[in-house]
Amino acid sequence: MKAGVYFILFLLLVPLQASLLNPLSIAGIKPDLTLVLLYIIGLLISPLEAAFLGIGTGLLLDIGSASLLGVSGFTRGLLGIAASLLGRKVLDITSPSNGIFLAVFSLAEGLLLMFFLSLFYGTLPVVSLLVSHILPQAVYTGMLGVVLLRFMATKDILALLKRRTVQKEF
Amino acid sequence: MPGFIAKRRKIIFVVILFTILFWLVTIQVKNGRFVFLERPILAVSGFFERMITGTYRSIESTVNRYVWLVKTERENEELKQQNDTLKLEHAILNELLNENERLREALRFKQLNPLSSVAAPVIGKNMSPISATLTINKGTDQGIRKDMAVITADGVVGRIHSVLAGSSKVMLLTDPGSTLAVRVQRNREEGLLEGKLVNCALKYVSYYADIQKGDILVTSGLDGIFPKGLPVAVVVKVTKREANAFQIVVAEPVVRFSRIEETLVLIK
Repeated sequence: MKAGVYFILFLLLVPLQASLLNPLSIAGIKPDLTLVLLYIIGLLISPLEAAFLGIGTGLLLDIGSASLLGVSGFTRGLLGIAASLLGRKVLDITSPSNGIFLAVFSLAEGLLLMFFLSLFYGTLPVVSLLVSHILPQAVYTGMLGVVLLRFMATKDILALLKRRTVQKEF
Repeated sequence: MPGFIAKRRKIIFVVILFTILFWLVTIQVKNGRFVFLERPILAVSGFFERMITGTYRSIESTVNRYVWLVKTERENEELKQQNDTLKLEHAILNELLNENERLREALRFKQLNPLSSVAAPVIGKNMSPISATLTINKGTDQGIRKDMAVITADGVVGRIHSVLAGSSKVMLLTDPGSTLAVRVQRNREEGLLEGKLVNCALKYVSYYADIQKGDILVTSGLDGIFPKGLPVAVVVKVTKREANAFQIVVAEPVVRFSRIEETLVLIK
């Protein structure tokens, strides 16, 4: 699949994340759908493509919110590369263990973002943020990832994605 | 050397890209947030947010009105048979009571804030994990402009961050980029309330100022955005350190952002 198609997909995902997932929110915590899809697609494409996709997604999130332009682009780019490198080691991408990887990705992104924000805006209540927001969101995102991967596997969407993806060497 | 670069040109390209992103972020801290492709992106996302929220709300409303009302109607029929006169009387009294409450609330708002306001339903929340924002279903077409105050009946929500014809992005009080001039309601001490994502921090409050847990912070009106006296946050923690000239004050917004469905935008 071409990078442009992915970009359009994520352009549509940003409003989905903001509105459709609201009913799924528990105490204000929503799973990160864009991260889940970046992870799944990242597993199937080359690190360079994944980096571009991650940066593009992150920039979309930055533009659509009030955050500094580039912060999410930076972190999502790194996560895209990590997902792609992980994709070379993962034998079964429908395995529930992906939920744990996804939760770790979400946690890592949360901590990285906290680091950036503390750097630019001064001290933040990191422990409070970790307990009340970052950790629950990581768990929730991991769970959504497992459900989505299962769904995509049963509907042959993953097979379709794999067929259309040309693996390129980094 | 050229061979080394040629072999690793993709890696070098990615490293350069990340360096540019980091540089971009650092210069924004100094010079303020860049506005890049904001209007087209927000126009697309706003359109889908309106569409999705509209569909969801209509389904929810249909279910509530028809499925739930069918059940209520049946119960009502039974009740009517038992006590028709009393039920009617009760309904009329309830209606009058609700109307009275609504009028009182509107009057209180009007007294607090002589400016006109636009009611705006929330259609999206928190798009990024590092920023606290929400999207409302009103924009320039309804007279909304950047930096206008957004409130609810409970207190301050935030201010308009970016605006399109039919939707606007609201920066919440808890966003790290949000600052608001406030004062302690009890003793009129002034400070600057900064967003810290999960809560807020009251900055530049002298070590000797009398700030207590439970104090209510209200808008001071000094920022030129919010009218004076609107409830903003409640102090939850006060820490004094002798080495610091200022106190460390943590406050929580009076408005529960996770439950907001409707807002009011104050038109200047």
